[in-house]
Amino acid sequence: VFPGVRQAQWLTKTKLVEGLPPAVQGIVDNAALGLPELEERAKHMVSHARLWDTAEVAPRREQYCPVLFENLMHICRLMSGKYPSLSKRMLARNCRIAATWERESILLQVRGLSGILMNSMTPIPPVASKEEILATKEHVLETFYPIAPTIDLQEVNVYKELNDTGQCFRDGYPYSHPHTLFFLESANVRTDRFRPEQLRAKMLMFAFGNALAKAKVLHGNDPKVLDQPIVVQSIGTDGQLFQFMVFQLNTTDLVSNDGVKNLVWIDSDQNLYERAQCVPEVKKRVVTKPAGISGFQPDTFKKFLALYLHGTV
Amino acid sequence: MAALGARRLLRPGRRWFSETVPGALSPPASPLYPPVVASITAKSKTAKSRRLQRFNQRVHAAATVEEKLRLYGKLQRPKYMVYPQTFALNADRWYRSFTRTVLVPGLPPRAAAAKPPAGRAPEPRAEASAEAPGVAEAPGAAKTPEPAAGAAPYLDIGELRSLTCDALLQESFYQNKKRPFLYRDQDHTPGPFLTQLVSTLAASLSVRNPLLAASSLDLKPEVNYYWHHGEEVVVHGHRKGRVDPVRFQIDDNPHLQIRVPKQLPEVVPLESDLGDVPVIDHKPSKLPLFKKQYENKVFIGSKVADPCCYGHTQFHLLPDKLKRERFIRERLEDQIEVVYRSNGIASLFAWTAAQAMYQGFWNEADVTRPFVSQAVVTDGKYFAFFCYQLNTLALTAETIKNNPRKNICWGTDSKPLYDVVEDGNVKGFNDEVLLHLVHFLLNRPKEL
Repeated sequence: VFPGVRQAQWLTKTKLVEGLPPAVQGIVDNAALGLPELEERAKHMVSHARLWDTAEVAPRREQYCPVLFENLMHICRLMSGKYPSLSKRMLARNCRIAATWERESILLQVRGLSGILMNSMTPIPPVASKEEILATKEHVLETFYPIAPTIDLQEVNVYKELNDTGQCFRDGYPYSHPHTLFFLESANVRTDRFRPEQLRAKMLMFAFGNALAKAKVLHGNDPKVLDQPIVVQSIGTDGQLFQFMVFQLNTTDLVSNDGVKNLVWIDSDQNLYERAQCVPEVKKRVVTKPAGISGFQPDTFKKFLALYLHGTV
Repeated sequence: MAALGARRLLRPGRRWFSETVPGALSPPASPLYPPVVASITAKSKTAKSRRLQRFNQRVHAAATVEEKLRLYGKLQRPKYMVYPQTFALNADRWYRSFTRTVLVPGLPPRAAAAKPPAGRAPEPRAEASAEAPGVAEAPGAAKTPEPAAGAAPYLDIGELRSLTCDALLQESFYQNKKRPFLYRDQDHTPGPFLTQLVSTLAASLSVRNPLLAASSLDLKPEVNYYWHHGEEVVVHGHRKGRVDPVRFQIDDNPHLQIRVPKQLPEVVPLESDLGDVPVIDHKPSKLPLFKKQYENKVFIGSKVADPCCYGHTQFHLLPDKLKRERFIRERLEDQIEVVYRSNGIASLFAWTAAQAMYQGFWNEADVTRPFVSQAVVTDGKYFAFFCYQLNTLALTAETIKNNPRKNICWGTDSKPLYDVVEDGNVKGFNDEVLLHLVHFLLNRPKEL
């Protein structure tokens, strides 16, 4: 109906900041990462996923989207040569997440398969400083009067309030801090895929759900302002467009509309490449579009890598 | 007309052939007549061989590898589908005869330890249980040159062991999963565990092995190979009675594979003879093998344009149909190892042969250097390791006559990685299996 992120912001009591936080931007600009040869490898990986991976002429999105994701993760994991603490990460697929909270006397719940989750042994340090957190007190959440904020949400009778990512992992799991969530929109048909705006909203809701569940495990169920804000990142893609998000949970006091708010930084609609041509397009015996990847943007890959390395560098 | 011609011949005087002066005629610069060769379209054996020669020349003269592969697999006829993961009894003997492979028990000696490969090659064959002394001396021998080289840090088995245990515990214990689907136990726990294990181990070992740092990891890729071996007579149909080559096709789906841009070094020289290839007099359909006709595919996991065109290691997961309990229940305990061996031989033959075809070799243009790849076959708990060296692609009836070369496969028996996972602890962890896996991943060409 209208942009989903605004609705998600109201539901999770969050303030939006455009662009990536300065900590992550610092990793992107850090030249010591040795990025030129990584760009070359990233380009090969994109070509592999989009052009070379199948015995047929062109792979379909259901095939190339996960393959591209796996290839990019492979390059990122190989960086653990330089940063040994990167090996303290573990990927978990098909994680079920469940979190419940109250928002101005409406009980809300997030449940479902939250894509692929990467956990780490150490939490990500808070991205926003204390002053910025306190400054969110003045920020007024956008309301959508006369539209109720729970429009397009499914109303169910909840009998059990499920609360933990401990639902996903048992106690004593060494990699207990959720680090990054990955969402792959890999349906072949365009109507089955989320549009970028809806994808961003979905990423925000699930990042919030994971952070909230972790906060309740760490600090208990009472609503309060957190001393140690919890940071969860999220990356969503459909094989070509990437959405990057860093979410910081500052407070679990979500009933009222004022007070400290949570923060989210969103960098949306980053193209990794313009076009991937499997067979050269020929019009009137002249090659108009040669085969291969055109318009490769290394910045998008740098941001992917920076989000991966965030917390250890 | 004939009578007229005869009268003309009988008439004296008018003679129409001139007298040739001996010695005055010089031999013509080019032959006057085209060479006398067999026809192309006749229904005769020489015509068939001439057509075959023309086809071979066409393939030899193909401009690109894709064109060569297209011509190689152009003719589609019913072919035997060879499955690497099969329940057929004694399938590994049959597969060895189809692919001309010698099976050598035990693993090849490590490149760092093997100074003259020809001298060391008979040893794995002579020692029946080669793994225990082989592994005990290999890490020692492998570690001593390396500090002398002064490049690589100490191999921390404890850390690798903890990574392995973490992956195992996450998949089997910590993560709350729903019950496994019926007969899909392998997708529930061992599959994700293997993916997790290989990706983390490869990442952490990439420091020591720069080849891994440039590698490409495929999840559930497709590997196909098509070849001819032997001859048979067509039994029924409109082509009845003709002699045809026996066609085979392998369509394999490893769980995971690592492809690299540089080739692994050879283990033994190209012409070495380490054993005998079993000869089986029966038709392949007795195995049982069934024929199907579809596209003849040759594929290593990605197309020819990919720079990572050589194979490093494959990881295979055995399905539920072939689990150990089933064989024990049917009192076929000796077939358990056959399953691992047949999977290793067939998959690795298909992969190495497809890699060789990507470089332009085929059965008329045999390989000039051996192609080496490795594989790990597992059912989640038991691991078996295989190393394959492809020395020859010439397996058709004409080319195999004068071909002394054989392909070689080294393989171990399956051993458990751990005993049981209980209460967040892995009991009975076997370091030897982990060491084998690590050595496999660390394998690289000598100059790197």
